[in-house]
Amino acid sequence: MSTATTTPTGGRELSQPPSDGISNLRFSNHSDLLLVSSWDKTLRLYDVGENVLKAEFLHAGPVLDCCFHDDSSGFSASADHTVRRYAFGSGKEDFLGRHDAPVRCVEYSYAAGQVITGSWDKTLKCWDPRGANSSDRALVGTYLQPERVYSLSLVGYRLVVATAGRHVNVYDLRNMSQPEQRRESSLKYQTRSVRCYPNGTGFALSSIEGRVAMEFFDLSEAAQAKKYAFKCHRKSEAGRDIVYPVNAMAFHPIYGTFATGGCDGYVNVWDGNNKKRLYQYSKYPTSIAALSFSRDGLLLAVASSYTYEEGEILHEPDAIFVRNINEVEVKPKPKALPVPPP
Amino acid sequence: MARVSTDQLLQLETTCGSLLYELQIIWDEVGETDTERDKMLLELERECLEVYRRKVDQANRCRAQLRQAIADSEAELATICSSMGEPPVHTRQSIQKVGSLKEELKSITPQLEEMRKRKGERLNQFSEVEQQIRNISVEIMATEYNPSRHVVDESDLSIRKLEELCRYLESLQKEKSDRLKQIMDHLSTLNALCSVLGVDFKETIREIHPSLDDAKASKSVCSATIERLATAIGRLRDIKIERMQKLQDFASTMLELWNLMDTPIEEQQFFQNVACNIAASEEEITEANTLSVNFLSCVEAEVLRLEQLKVIKMKELILRKKAELKELGRRAHLVVEAENGAEVAISAIESGAIDACLVLEQIGCQIATVKEEAFNRKDILERVEKWLTACEEEAWLEEYNRDENRYNAGRGAHLTLKRAEKARALVNKIPGIVDTLVAKITQWEKERAIGFTYDGVRLLSMLEKYAIVRQEKEQERKRQRDQKKLQGQLIAEQEALYGSKPSPSKPQSAKKVGPNRRLSLGGAAALQTPKSDYMHSAKSTRSVKMTDDLGTLSPGAKGLDIAGLPVKKLSYNNAMTTYQGVQRKPFAPVAPVNSIPLTPSKSLIANALEENKIPNAMLSPTPKTPATAAAVLMHVATTPAPTCLFNEALVKVVAPVDETEYSFEERRLAFYVGGK
Repeated sequence: MSTATTTPTGGRELSQPPSDGISNLRFSNHSDLLLVSSWDKTLRLYDVGENVLKAEFLHAGPVLDCCFHDDSSGFSASADHTVRRYAFGSGKEDFLGRHDAPVRCVEYSYAAGQVITGSWDKTLKCWDPRGANSSDRALVGTYLQPERVYSLSLVGYRLVVATAGRHVNVYDLRNMSQPEQRRESSLKYQTRSVRCYPNGTGFALSSIEGRVAMEFFDLSEAAQAKKYAFKCHRKSEAGRDIVYPVNAMAFHPIYGTFATGGCDGYVNVWDGNNKKRLYQYSKYPTSIAALSFSRDGLLLAVASSYTYEEGEILHEPDAIFVRNINEVEVKPKPKALPVPPP
Repeated sequence: MARVSTDQLLQLETTCGSLLYELQIIWDEVGETDTERDKMLLELERECLEVYRRKVDQANRCRAQLRQAIADSEAELATICSSMGEPPVHTRQSIQKVGSLKEELKSITPQLEEMRKRKGERLNQFSEVEQQIRNISVEIMATEYNPSRHVVDESDLSIRKLEELCRYLESLQKEKSDRLKQIMDHLSTLNALCSVLGVDFKETIREIHPSLDDAKASKSVCSATIERLATAIGRLRDIKIERMQKLQDFASTMLELWNLMDTPIEEQQFFQNVACNIAASEEEITEANTLSVNFLSCVEAEVLRLEQLKVIKMKELILRKKAELKELGRRAHLVVEAENGAEVAISAIESGAIDACLVLEQIGCQIATVKEEAFNRKDILERVEKWLTACEEEAWLEEYNRDENRYNAGRGAHLTLKRAEKARALVNKIPGIVDTLVAKITQWEKERAIGFTYDGVRLLSMLEKYAIVRQEKEQERKRQRDQKKLQGQLIAEQEALYGSKPSPSKPQSAKKVGPNRRLSLGGAAALQTPKSDYMHSAKSTRSVKMTDDLGTLSPGAKGLDIAGLPVKKLSYNNAMTTYQGVQRKPFAPVAPVNSIPLTPSKSLIANALEENKIPNAMLSPTPKTPATAAAVLMHVATTPAPTCLFNEALVKVVAPVDETEYSFEERRLAFYVGGK
């Protein structure tokens, strides 16, 4: 049993973090296992409860994204253009397929039973994991995107793809031949990340300009009237705003509130419906690269890892913190209604 | 005695007489003797006398006391009056109608009381004043003051003295208030200084004297305090001036740097207050914390940052200038200073060994020189370009001529035909171009007494070699034609002998050339042919140039009517006629076949292959064979294209081009791939 470094503010720091930047981290849907992908070319699996590194898989290039299949295996998206599956227990590696450029995002859809990857070769590919290791049998389809894919998110049968050039495509997984909606990001700057609401009504987009937009799938006027954007992860100094990219977002599985992490090193928790900020955690050593809530919403994993927004500079070492969540930090706060006079 | 009332005396006498009568009676009764009676009467008289005397003494004493009391009172009164500086109020002499002593005393006593009271009051006044004087003196003089100096002198309680003391007190009070004012002035000055310098005012004054900081206690006004305040003010003022000078130095440096680097207004805004104080005098700088240590270090840091920025910009500028220099050199085909020079300069600037401005100047000079040189060379360089283009077209023409499908109608066939026509015309002009070029170069060299170099090689020598090569080629061609003629003759003879002609398509190892077929050097077949290819391009192999418009030596197609072919070159003609004159045996190898050296071709092939492998490398001229040198020349002319591509590829991967956006991950990956 290893001793966890307890920081009074940031949460427990996991031991044996990656030796280079962290590109993403995810909690499993079944337990408190945490899958972490890193620029040091490894995919790591941690048991958060015991603070121990359980498995590590070396790649040929930096690993840009990862996701769980089930508790015993996961997928990785690597800069060496490949998509692979790893069985954690046996260490067995399956080759799913490759793109023509680094693979940036990977998601697994339980509903469709498919792996979806987005790459800088401007395509989206769907894979059937059962066809792994056999050439071409895994690939279900390739879908051309207007630009390089930067971020993906799934909810139910809906897939949202955010690309360079601020394009946003919404697909229905049951009919991938063409996008259900072709949209443009309502934010004026490069999209950093996209996340769907757990209730499946819409998605949130974050940009490099310290802003988040809350969008909805329903294109009717009534629904679109609810959409809005807000500024966040900004610092006011000497009369002007310093604006930080918002790298990561994660929705609380139960309350539907969400956390955002930016290059300013802060994690904020927001109530999207009531348009309020619920909490701000104390500053982490460096930029927040990724966030993930555990399946029961009691833990939040924070990747504090420099994301290269200023190029190659000296930066704090990369670390993973796991916080215990208090209800007050994530529970929505509806506006207090005025008490009627007696 | 007169006062005793007659009644009383009578009474007394009566009482005494009666008593005596009674006594006599008693004596008579008793039977006292006369002597006894006389003795008793004498005793009685004597005792009575005693009693009288006692009473008189008493009265005398009383009177004396009274007199004494009066005298005392008068004396006291006199003392008091004198001490109070007033004229004596009461003297015995002044009171003529004196009355009795008692009356006198009665009159003097209240006066005395009065005077005593007044003295007491006066004394109080004096005490008060003296007390105040003491107090203030203590305040003013502190430890030096001896309190015993101002004790009430009871001998002089006069009004005059009191007034004197009051005046003195006033003067002391004034002095105190003056000092206080001085101190307040000092304090306010000190406050201003402290505020400007960012020093803790309260701490400072507390050090000087604790009372200064305390709002409630009265402040120390002693000289020491004032002195210390003055010293402190002097000290702080010195510091202020020192810092002010420092700040103004920084400000002027900052302005210089802003000017130099064209800093945007928004950046300058932060330090506006610094800049506007640049010419201020000491009194004018009054804003709080303008000269605090913090602020100064802020400004210093900013200046440092700007200077570092300047160094960076200088470096950039220098690098840019060097690149410009290189580019100019390249365009003028001048060899400019080696790359190492740039690195050395940069590292030297970084270490501070050389002033960046100096280096910039140097480079500027170099650029100017190169520009001038380029201008001088322009004419010749243009001609060289023309010559090179012509050679290229020549080469293209060769290849085109080798192409069997060139007359097939296809897309753009008419364009290639046009090009071929133009190329032929151009090729004809080549000797002329070369000649003019040589003439110009010679003249140029004569004017300047230096050789004209083209990428480091002497142009004249290049041209000479080219001429030689060309000549050799011509000779080769001539030989080939002669051979062909011989062959034709042979075949004709054979035909004549045997009545059939051998198949023209059989590749004869020595010399057979098919119609419009150009022998190529690339590949094994080339090794067999003696026809070496002196046409130089790394891209493809070239065949010996045989211009179509000259008429083809095509024994197969057009018959062996060699003699009838129009010939351009006279030498060619001569060669032919010579050949025709030779008698030879059939199938005997033609002498030239063996005499043609294989080596050049081999080496050339090797070079060509080599060159094929590294198209992007800038070849340094290797003077192995003339052909190679010439090959390099041509190569160089075509190199720009590949290197450009190479560079573009680099640019795309490493740095984000302005038109395309990149995410942080893309940039990071590019960086990792590039160098990490």
